[in-house]
Parts: sequence; C-alpha cells; structure tokens
Amino acid sequence: MDSALSKAPKNKLNLRDFFEPLRKSLANFGKRFADGSLGTKLSHFIFGAGNFYHKQYIKGAIFLLLQLAILWFMIFCPAVNGTPYGWKALANLSLKNVKEGGEFDPATGHFSAGSDCKLMILFGFVTIAVIIIYFLIWNMNIGSSYKADMDKKIGKKPTTFIEDLRELLDSKFHVLMLTPTCIAAMVFTILPTIFMIALAFTTYNSQDMNDLGTNLFHWNGLQNFSAVFTGEGSLGVEIKNRFLPVLGWTFIWAIFATLTCYFGGIILALLINKKGLKGKKIFRTVFIFTIAVPQFISLLAVRNLLGEYGPFNAMLINAGIIDKAVGFLGLHVGDSENLAKVMVIIVNMWVGVPYTMLMTSGILMNIPTDLYEAARVDGASTLKMFFKITLPYVIFVTTPYLISSFVGNINSFNTIFLLTGGGPTYTGYQAGGTDLLVTWLYKVTIDQGSYNTGAVIGIFTFIITATITLVTYRRSKAYNEEDTFQ
Amino acid sequence: MSLMKKGKKVRSQSRARKVSLGATYILLVVLGIIWLVPLIWIVLSAFRCEYQPDGTFIGRVTSNFFPKAYGLKNFTDLFTATYYGVPKAFPRWMLNTLIIAIIDCIISTFLVLSVAYCMSKLKFKLRKPFMNISMIIGLFPGFMSMIAIYFLLKSIGLTGNPSHPEYSVIGLILAYSAGAGLGFQVAKGFFDVIPNALVESAKLDGCTNFQIFMKIILPLAKPIIIYQALMSFTGPWMDFIFAKVIIGADNAAYWTVSVGLYSLLFGTHPDTNLFTQFAAGCVVVAVPIVTLFMFLQQYYVEGVTAGAVKG
Amino acid sequence: MMKKIITLLMISFMLLTTLTGCGGGSGDNGGNTKPDDGVIRVWVGEESAEFYQKACDEYVASHSDFGYKIEVKGMDTGSIAGTITNDPTAAADIYTVAHDNIGKLASTQCAKPITDESLIAQVKADNPASFQGVIYSTLNGTQYLYGVPYISQALFLYYNKALVTEEQAKTFEGLREAAKKAGTKAITVSGDDGFNMSFALLATRVADHGTTVKIYAGAESVSGGSKGKSNVQGDDTIAIFRWLQAYAEDPNGFKWASSDGWDADLDKDNKGVLAVIGGAWHYNTAKAALGETNLGITLIPTFKLTAEACEGLTGVQAGDEYRGGTFADCKCFMINAYSHANKYVKEQELIKYLSSKDVQNQSYLAAMNVPAYVGASEYIKSAYEAGKVSESEYLLAANQVAMAEWGIPQPFITGTLNTYYYSKNAPSIFRAIIDKTAYPTTGDMILTETTSLEGIRKALYLIEYIWMHGVTTKDFPGTLPAEA
Repeated sequence: MDSALSKAPKNKLNLRDFFEPLRKSLANFGKRFADGSLGTKLSHFIFGAGNFYHKQYIKGAIFLLLQLAILWFMIFCPAVNGTPYGWKALANLSLKNVKEGGEFDPATGHFSAGSDCKLMILFGFVTIAVIIIYFLIWNMNIGSSYKADMDKKIGKKPTTFIEDLRELLDSKFHVLMLTPTCIAAMVFTILPTIFMIALAFTTYNSQDMNDLGTNLFHWNGLQNFSAVFTGEGSLGVEIKNRFLPVLGWTFIWAIFATLTCYFGGIILALLINKKGLKGKKIFRTVFIFTIAVPQFISLLAVRNLLGEYGPFNAMLINAGIIDKAVGFLGLHVGDSENLAKVMVIIVNMWVGVPYTMLMTSGILMNIPTDLYEAARVDGASTLKMFFKITLPYVIFVTTPYLISSFVGNINSFNTIFLLTGGGPTYTGYQAGGTDLLVTWLYKVTIDQGSYNTGAVIGIFTFIITATITLVTYRRSKAYNEEDTFQ
Repeated sequence: MSLMKKGKKVRSQSRARKVSLGATYILLVVLGIIWLVPLIWIVLSAFRCEYQPDGTFIGRVTSNFFPKAYGLKNFTDLFTATYYGVPKAFPRWMLNTLIIAIIDCIISTFLVLSVAYCMSKLKFKLRKPFMNISMIIGLFPGFMSMIAIYFLLKSIGLTGNPSHPEYSVIGLILAYSAGAGLGFQVAKGFFDVIPNALVESAKLDGCTNFQIFMKIILPLAKPIIIYQALMSFTGPWMDFIFAKVIIGADNAAYWTVSVGLYSLLFGTHPDTNLFTQFAAGCVVVAVPIVTLFMFLQQYYVEGVTAGAVKG
Repeated sequence: MMKKIITLLMISFMLLTTLTGCGGGSGDNGGNTKPDDGVIRVWVGEESAEFYQKACDEYVASHSDFGYKIEVKGMDTGSIAGTITNDPTAAADIYTVAHDNIGKLASTQCAKPITDESLIAQVKADNPASFQGVIYSTLNGTQYLYGVPYISQALFLYYNKALVTEEQAKTFEGLREAAKKAGTKAITVSGDDGFNMSFALLATRVADHGTTVKIYAGAESVSGGSKGKSNVQGDDTIAIFRWLQAYAEDPNGFKWASSDGWDADLDKDNKGVLAVIGGAWHYNTAKAALGETNLGITLIPTFKLTAEACEGLTGVQAGDEYRGGTFADCKCFMINAYSHANKYVKEQELIKYLSSKDVQNQSYLAAMNVPAYVGASEYIKSAYEAGKVSESEYLLAANQVAMAEWGIPQPFITGTLNTYYYSKNAPSIFRAIIDKTAYPTTGDMILTETTSLEGIRKALYLIEYIWMHGVTTKDFPGTLPAEA
C-alpha cells in the first residue's frame, strides 16, 4: 500500500511530463495565429504567404511549391504498376477495396490485372510519410513567418535567403550534414522496415495465395505470431518444430563464433607481437589475406575444398585416416549436424581471427609497459601476466566490439549461407541443422515466398538483437562517458 | 653465489626464451600455411588446365590439390565467353562493379564523415535519439526490405525499367550508399579523439562550422577517410544477392561481378563445369582488392582499432 | 525556425521526384500495362539466347511490316518463373518456362491467353496429345491456350562406357554388377526434386507399359469441375519403392548426388557412380565428367522386382520387369499479361514463328534443344545422317524422344494444382521413403517411419493427397483407400 501511495504522484508527474510539451506546442500554435501578422495567419492555409508578406520571395516560393507539389501528389495520385499513391493509397491501406482482376478481351488483347496488395501497403506508408512531412513543412512555414514578425517587432529586418543559407554552413551545419542521411534512411531503411513489419500482420504468403489462385491478401491480425506456438498455417509445422532449435543454435553459434574469434585473435596477436620475433609484418600480412579476399570467394573456396570429392577428403582418405568421404559441411541430407556446426565455427575462425588480431595488436602495444615491469619484479610468470594484465586490459577496452560482433554473428548471413546453405537439411523442413534465424528467413521469404512468416521471424530476430545492443550499449562506458568527449 | 645464481638464471631464461621463440615461429608458420591453403588452392584451380584423354576440358572441382597441368585457358575463356547472352560478359561485370564501387565509395565516405562529424563535434537537440536509432535500425534483416526498396526505386524509374536497364545501376548505387551514413560509429570514434580545444579555438577565430569541418577536421581525418573509402569500395565486390534483385535477373549486361560469378557457380547454367573459370574470376577480382588492402593496411588497422574501442 | 528549410526542401524534392518521375498513368488499374515502346522483349534459357536473337532478327528483316524491334535475353531457366511473379511489369513480353509453371503464372495473372486461330491450329497440329492436355488453363471460367511448346524435356541415362557394357546399362541389376566390379555405386539422379523423382514414381511394367499410378485421371478438363482420380499407392508403386529402398541400401546401388555435383560422382577418378539419370541440359557437364568417348547415352534402365519387395502385396509378382519412368515435359512460350495490348497480335505472330517446326529444328542444331513436335525423331535422325550433329548429340535427342513415350507430362488441372506436388514437399516425401526416414506432417509427427509396408503406403498416400488437395493431410483414414 505504501509503495502504491508513493508511486501515485510519480505516475501523475510522468503523465504531465508527457502532455506538457504537447500542450505547449498547441498553445504555441494558437499564439502564433493570434499574435502573428496577416501573413502569418495566411501561412496557416497557403504555405509561404507569410514569407511573401515579408518580401522573402525565394523562401516563400519554395514553401508554396512544396505545398502545391504535395497537394498534387495527394489529390492526383500518381501510380506505379497501377497502384496509386496519394489519398487513394490511404484508402487502399485497409486492403478492403481490392480487385481480383483478370478481365481479358481476346479481340484487342487488353488484359486488366488485379490489385497489388503489397504495393498498396507500401504506398500507403509512403503516403503517410508524405503527410507527416506536409505538416512539418506547414509548421516550419508558420514559424518562419512568425520569426520574421518578431524580428520586425524589435526593429530587425527579416533574414534574407542568403543569410539563411549562410546559417546552414554554421549554426545549422548539422542540418545540412544530416539531411542526406536522414532522407536516405527514411526511404531505404525506415519505410522498408515498417513495410516488413506490416507484412507480419497479413496473409501475404505466395504459396497460400497460389493455392487459392489469387493475387490478393489481407490483414489477419496476430495469427502469424500465434502460429509459432500452435503450428497452424501453411508453414505451421515448420515454425512450431524448428523455431526453438534454430533460435537456440543461433545463440550457440553467436557465442562460440564471437568468443573463438576473439580469444583466437588475442592469442595470435600475442604470438605475432612477441618480443624478438622477426618478420612480424610478413606474418601479419599472411593473416590479413582472409580479410582482404571477398567472403563469397574465400568461403566458397573452403566449401569446395571440404566437399565430398574435394582435396581435403581425398587427402584424408589417402592418408588412411578415413575410408569414406566425410560430409564436413552438412551439405547432404543425413550428414552429421554436429560436425557441420563445429566446422562452421572453425571456418569462421579462419575468417574472423585475423580481424581481432589486427585490432588487438594496436591495443596490446598501448598497454603501459610499467605494468609488466612491476609484475616481473614481483616474479609473475608470463601466463599469470597474460591473465592478470593483458586480458583484463584488452577486454576492458574492447567490450563494445564484443557486443557488436556478437550481434553481428547473430545476423551472420554469409558464413552460413555460403558454407553450409543451412544444411544438413531435414526432410520436410526448410530450416536445416546449421540455419540461423537470418538464413532461415532468407529461405522462407526468397525461396518459399512466405513473406508473412518471414516477417515474424525477422521481427523476433530484431527484438533479440536490438535489445542486446541497446541494453549493453547503454551500460557501456563508451555511452555513459560519451558526453565527456564533447 | 647470488651472482652465479643470477647468471645461471639469466642463461636459462635466455634459453627458455629462445625455445619459446622457436616454438612461436613454428606455430606461426603452421598457422600461416593453414590460413593460406584455401586461397592458394583457388589460385591453383584458376590456372588448372586438365583435359580428359579425348580432349574434353575438366572445369570441375577435382580431388587433386595441385593441378596436373597449368595454363591460362580459364582466364582467356572467362574474358571472352558469352554468359546469359551477353558477349564478353565478365569484363563488363568488372567494369560495372568498378564504376559502382567508385561512385559508392565517394558518396558513402562523404555521408559517413558528415554524420560522424555532426555526432562528434556538434551539439543539437536530436543527437542522442539519432544515435540510438541509427544503432538498431540496421539490425533488421535486410531481405524483406529488398522488395520494398525494389519498388521504391521502381517508383522513380531506377529499376525494373526494361527500356532503360542502365538506370538500375544508378538505383543500385543509391541503395548501396544510402545506408552508409548510419554506419558512422567508427568515424565518430576517430573524431572523438580530436581535441575539442582545436574546434573551440577555431570558433573563437570566427570560423564557421563548415570551415572547421573543411579546414581542421578533414585534414586530420586522412586515416579514417581512407578506411571508410576502402570499406565502401570493397562492398559492391562482395554482394551477390541484393545487386541481382535491383539490377534484375534479365540484365546480365549490367550485373556486378559477384552476381555474375555466383551465377556461374550456382545458376542453372547449361554448363556447370565452370569451377575453374569461377576460380579464375575470383583471382581477377581478389588481386586488386587484396593489393589495395595491403597498401592501405595501416589505415585499415587504425580504423578497426578505432571501431573496436568505440563500438 | 528557418533552419530545416533545406532539409525539407531536399526531402520533398526527393519524394516529389520519386513520385512524379514515375509518370505512370493515374487511376486504379488503368496504368498497369507496360508502355508500348516499339520493342518486343523475349526471355529464353541462357543457352539459346544467341540463337533466338538471330532467329528473331532474321524474321524482322524478312517481314518489313512487323513493326517491332525484338530483344532476346538469356535467363537462368530455373528462376524465370520466380522473377516473373516478383514483378511481372518488369518481365519480358514473351517468356519461356517449363509447362508446369503455366497454372501458377496464369492464375497469378502473369500470363495472357493466346487466342490467335492460326497459332492455336499450329499448336494442335504439331504437338502430341500429351502436351495438349497441359498447356491450357482457365481465366474466369473460360479455357484458354496459354503455353506454346517448343522444347521437350525428359529424363534418360548417361553412363560410363569405359566401365559399363551396353548390355549392363540396360538394367539396374547390370549397373550394380558393373559397380561392384568398379568399387563404386551404380547410379544417381541429377537432383532430388519432383521432376527427377519421376524416375521412380512413373516406372512402368515393361510388358504392357502398365502402372496403377493415376494423376487426375478422368478429370473433365483443365478448367476443373472434377479433378478426376489420383492414385500413387498401388501395390506396384509400393513394391517399386521397396525395391528402391533395398537398391539404395546396397553398397553398389543407388546414391543421392554429391553436393559437389552429380558430375563429380560420375567422374571415374572419384569412384562415385557409373551412371546418372539426367536430361539433355546436362549434356555438356556429363561430357566433361567422362569425356565424349566414354559417354554412353541410353534409356533409363529396367529392373526386376524382388521377392522381398513384393512380400505382402497382391498386385505384383516377384520377377516383374519395370522400366524407370519420366515426366515428359515441354518448355513453352507464354505472353506476359502486362504486355501492351498493341503488341498482342505481333507477339502471337512471333511465337508462331519461333515455335514452328523449322525453328525448333534449327534450335536443336544450334543449342541442343530437343524439339517438341510430333515426329521430331525423323528430323533428329536425318540430321545425324547428314552429319550435322555428333553421335552422342544424336543419341541424346533420340533417347530423350524415346523415353518420352515411357512417361507423361506433369499433369495439372484448375490452375495451380500441379505446383502442390513441388511446393507441398511431395519430393521430400519420396526422399524420406528412399532414405527410410520419418516425415513431419501437420501438427504432430504422424508419419514416424517409412520402413514397414504400412509406413510406405502412408507416405505414398500423403503424396496422393497432395496431388489431389494441395495440402498434407492432418490425419490418415482408418483404412487407406485401395486402388481407385
């Protein structure tokens, strides 16, 4: 009870915190409309009116053009592949108003195709983004005019276009610099991501649609998520029986791949940087080869080298170590899953160890030598020094790298896809023994066309990786001391 | 006595050191060989020129590590062959990739540096949220975005445009370089180390942020510029999935070299006897990239180290 | 306040160019055909791109009224259908796929019906009845011709002449005998997909070409109504698979293709297999694996059912002789649904030319595409006698044509039913039987074994069920329906 009492006011406070800025900005709108000049008032309806009023013609023209363009976009609904943008796209987002299509006129050869639901969703979200942008511009155009009003009030001249541009090079430099990335991220990352998340709530599954002989799909709420547990739906058995094993292996893989490469790299760096060792540079160069050669080359080379009739098996057979070729990479149904798992981790070391080696070489050289001197005076052994000085120091410095490489390994598509293709496969399932969530996702979507199931897997993967990243990153020294670098 | 003891100790120590040094040499050489074997094998396969007794060329993976006969046939075939109906496809793929890589490299490096500079040296309202979002947004598996990106690019005519297949190359460059800005973390780590005092004093001298960026930061940032350029230049040589979707399975003339090589090996090619030709292609692709890497090794190491420490 | 102007400017500019640049027509569905830009684009298999470009150029040159430029592009034959369904508006006006894609492409509105009377007449006149049944599909209840056959595809046998005698290559038992001597396995298939699995599914009794296998037998038409009857769990099929299980367990018997490629298996140095069941499109690879002089080409061998295989089955007798079968498929020209209506007439005219006997013959000489029309074997023979093709090139075509008589085209009705066979994992059920492993079915593992008679029958019933219903059954009936 006590705690409930003490919590109550806090909750209230939070709520007010949340609504305060909203209230303020609403009040701000009212204030600007009431206090503003005629131009500012007009700006609420016609973009740039206030700027024209203040003789800022270029700025005004830009605002006006933007408004006209967006309105044109919204009203006239340009279309791609027959699917419109604009207000029609908003209406289409419900996926209610769809046409099966297929009217054909043998005389003229005219064929009318049905609605394209995936484009309806995509374009719907694009249109929503455009509307948000419309209101941002709206707000900005009012603000711009109101600022000119205020400048006038205190006897200053409204800023000229040139002055605004100049500002972009100085106090608003970040706007100039970040804009291209923001736009690009919006178009190429955020919109596609929203689109993908949306697919998880639909029946967009090429196989099911083929069965029904339709091109159309619709929203179906959380059914795809519950399928993970119930096994219903066209990929139900697959998801139900394979989701947990794949998830488990993804984690095991990520842990092993990260740690083996990490410690392997440190050890290799220590070896190469050993005092008195000659030819450091040559050794380092040798190991860098695997970083420099594109992965699809080096990994496919290994895959073929380890193949059933490849040189490695032939060598082992000739040496009498084995009498029959071994399926190291589980490319065949019935090959050992555990062997394939061990092999991918080993081959991954081949690719990843040099990377850590390079990275830690620099760090090793930065370890203050007096630490070692002091230890040596105390008579500490080399091994002890490694565990007491070197390792703690390196781990301390490279924690952020450990996290990012762990997350990177969860999403490590190339290694698995090129080496084992997810094999050994199991009769009747897409997900094989070494499939990670991400390669499974590839099979389910690209090979199988089950976009909704793929999206569900993708969302799970994202939740896992994003949580790990954010939680550990927020706790890391780098993040918390971030501001001290300012 | 103590002196003698010490002398013995020093001697035994130096012997122990010699032994351990020798062991290190041996270990490193063995590891080095293990590391190079697959790559050497690819190079050997590229020069393999074996024939059946009746003169049929053997282009498959064979069980002998060292070829029974060497020759340049794979290379000459590779450079002259018609793949997917495109005469001399391989040189075209090389050229396409080179063009894409150079443009992507310029745009990406610029974007990365500008974002990293803002995040490191400028203060503004949305800085922290931007950093958090950029960190996780890239974690979404990309395959699903692929369809969305395809249709967004198609909306502006930059892909799936049969009358202008060359436009999809622009589309691909856009798609490659667009996301680059979000990978600013390494460069930011580097900029963070540049003392703020330098920036402050320049500000006192009346420099604008733009001038500071151009005149102070960029000249100091040579290593990170080279690192970023190297990273974004090598990217297009390695991607074999995205490029095929954006350029189009039918536009073999505009493919990148990795899409082409991957298709040689895994496509339902009428003649799958192409491993040695694939190997030759790998050598042609890898040699310039490896050379570049070796020359710029020092900058790469700097970048990697900066990235590791700053995450 | 003024700050983000440029930001916005750029955002909006980008978005605007995005949206205006497309310039497509407005309206809901009016603008979704591709513009008529004076070019007819054609997608064919990679191996024939050069040939068809040349043929088309010649055609345009000799028909000044054609009015269109023709662009031919070579594609990965395996991925053409997928590329088309991903974005049909970016696909070619005329494309070529294996006939079993017709149902899917028609029902997903990627293909346009063919209505030109003279072209339909040519298709009817030239092609065997078996093809006629699988190139139609329905649109809004009307049956239309969709695909025009121009290449036939069937399985036959490549074998190593150095280690297998011609006599041994005629039977599975003979191959095994040779394999025992060579210390290898006898035979492999070029893949474990549904097409290749037909060698077992469609095996027929040599004496009378008899089999109890039925797929949509007696279906009224491709437009549906009745799906007819399917049966793949007759006593003979069970016996064949039991025989194959034993043959696969034999150290010198059947082997799945290596992940290094079946050609690596075939290479004599690797001691993999002595023979492979494959198609004409494997010719170059097989030749490279064995060398042309050692490359034997013949029909898929025969085998005799053993007493163990027939145990407990009434419909078969030990000693019955069967020959491995094949789906006898064809590749077809189809028209893109999104192609501009203006091109429609010319597209059909072009297809009529490209699928004519004459061009099919030329395509055989230029790119080893085995012609699809009735009586192609005569031309194949005459071409060999005239010295236009090598002996193995002749054998390849001749044996394929001969094999086609031992098989049926993959049948389909009502649009998509045949794709179930692939997409609902029927091929992996075959694999489960041959490997004697379990197979997961919806909900729980109800197919726990494929070793017993009952287990095999259940597995085959699953496949039958997939053919008929497009889903795997959730439950088996108390007694499986016997032969229909």
